[in-house]
Amino acid sequence: MLKMQKINKVYQTEMVQTHALRDFSLEVNEGEFIAVTGPSGSGKTTFLNIAGMLETFTDGEYELDGVRVGGLNDNQRADLRNQKIGFIFQGFNLIPDLNLYENVEVPLRYRGIKTAERKRRIERCLEQVGLGSRAKHLPQQLSGGQQQRVAIARALAGEPRFLLADEPTGNLDSLMARQVMELLEQINRDGATIVMVTHDPELARRAPRNIQIVDGQMADFTLYQGAAEHAVAMEA
Amino acid sequence: MFEIKPIFNALCRSKVGAILLLLQIAITTAVVSNASFIIYDHVQYLNKETGFPQDELFRFTVLTFGKDRELSQQFELDEAMLRNIPGVINAVTTNAVPLSGSGSSSSFRLKPSPEESESVNAAYYFADEHALETFGVKLIEGRNFLPEDVRITNTIENAPNVAIVSKAFAEAMFPDEPALGKNFYYFGDKPLKIIGIVDTMLSPWPRSSRPPENTILVPMINPGMYQHIMVRTQAGERAAIMRQMEDVMLDAYNKRVIINIEALDQVKQDYDASDVLMMRMLIVIILVLVSVTALGIFGLTQFNISKRTKQIGTRRALGARKSDIIRYFLVENAMVCLGGLFIGSISAVLLGTQLMQWYSIPALDNSYVAVTALAVFAMTMLAVVVPAKRAANISPSIATRTV
Repeated sequence: MLKMQKINKVYQTEMVQTHALRDFSLEVNEGEFIAVTGPSGSGKTTFLNIAGMLETFTDGEYELDGVRVGGLNDNQRADLRNQKIGFIFQGFNLIPDLNLYENVEVPLRYRGIKTAERKRRIERCLEQVGLGSRAKHLPQQLSGGQQQRVAIARALAGEPRFLLADEPTGNLDSLMARQVMELLEQINRDGATIVMVTHDPELARRAPRNIQIVDGQMADFTLYQGAAEHAVAMEA
Repeated sequence: MFEIKPIFNALCRSKVGAILLLLQIAITTAVVSNASFIIYDHVQYLNKETGFPQDELFRFTVLTFGKDRELSQQFELDEAMLRNIPGVINAVTTNAVPLSGSGSSSSFRLKPSPEESESVNAAYYFADEHALETFGVKLIEGRNFLPEDVRITNTIENAPNVAIVSKAFAEAMFPDEPALGKNFYYFGDKPLKIIGIVDTMLSPWPRSSRPPENTILVPMINPGMYQHIMVRTQAGERAAIMRQMEDVMLDAYNKRVIINIEALDQVKQDYDASDVLMMRMLIVIILVLVSVTALGIFGLTQFNISKRTKQIGTRRALGARKSDIIRYFLVENAMVCLGGLFIGSISAVLLGTQLMQWYSIPALDNSYVAVTALAVFAMTMLAVVVPAKRAANISPSIATRTV
């Protein structure tokens, strides 16, 4: 699904050269749920940006669902993002002037999907996150957890094969965070591949596979088996 | 593809900025279309053919205080003396100076009083047979005055019975038949037979709402202490002749004062001074309004971009191409602009109607509203392009940052 080999990302200013990622390699298989952790400034966000094609990398090889990303131009990257990736942001990033329906509609419009098909998908996704009856509400009329569920609906509407979640529970209280996490786990069980960046070790442990990034490099591999039991233990 | 509905909905939900911009565009359209029409009308007027070779003509006024000369003879002596000056083509004594803003006009009747009759208003010039050559107007039908046509008189009883009229007057008085040889009436029942028709010969009030093309030459001299004299010179010799005019006139008879020695193009320029000033002011108003609107749109778009940086990054992250972002801002601007143009066009027509009533200007030509609306639309779109391109260059990675 995702294959990175010796990816380097260097931020260059007049005075300083900063290596955000160094020889970073990772392979994510279809259907996996991976948590990426690491201290502040370790390169988590840079990894997420490169994985989501929000930024280019300095060198290395990156293949997403069989497409080599390195040679793509800006428009091709935008199209690939739209078709393959669903984003869930820490701050939800909903557009305040659009209602929930219109927010979920945004990526579908960029894909050129017809009105009737858009309507079907939006209603299905809003129902899936439990907000089907609030389609006409504006984001600011919802709680943080509800807003994040709208953001998840927006990410799901394009029926992506790959979800990138950036601290999806970072702005939520523990109850809301648990609801959002359960939703992500359900989506993963339904077949989506999820890579979630988080600084919360408790949350990370709920993912079957953990990656830790330190100083732009892979620090550790941890494979948790039996995530369901772990989730039960947390709830208890 | 153009996201019209969500953009419209978004505008409706945060409408203060959009409404202000819409009003600005509406005001600009209404004012600019009327101002540009008025400017065009003035330019047309300033370039209008007067019928007079203005760069060959000058006028002066004679104030006679001496009592030892017969005024009815003196004007003929003066004219003869002036015609003998090298470089002078002809000279004539007249009651009114063309294009000066000062003269006489009257209503002329198709039938004598007390019969019911159509009448046509026209300015009239009293002058002798030298008027045609001095004024430089073109005779297109009939003949010039003969010396025996000319009456030197102060009374209606002795008033002449022939006239040379402008083509416009002839057509207004006799719309369905040839005017030459026909009679019309002044002073109630005094007939004037049309013996000649000249092409264009404007009245002393070229800006008047009464048709300034309607003019009449009457072969009459009304001798008085206050006389206007028009002199036509060879091209290029006018200034030199004007400089010696006071001396030669006083040399001929010194119990009088010579004033207002002025070239006819200067006379017209003085008459038009307020119009030219108004035209310049309107041009300044147009430039200011258009600049303020363009800057307003530019500034508002810039503000919207800085306010929506994260939103733009998010859209890019969700799959928007750079062209989608540019299109978004262009469509958003176009929607506000079209709303403003709609209101502005209606306001322009209403304002034009009011101006027509208040200031007697011609009715606003709707093509001016259409052209202004198109120009304002193009200008607002251009004002958006640069900030929209800047918005398109916002990195999608901004979506994952805390801004």
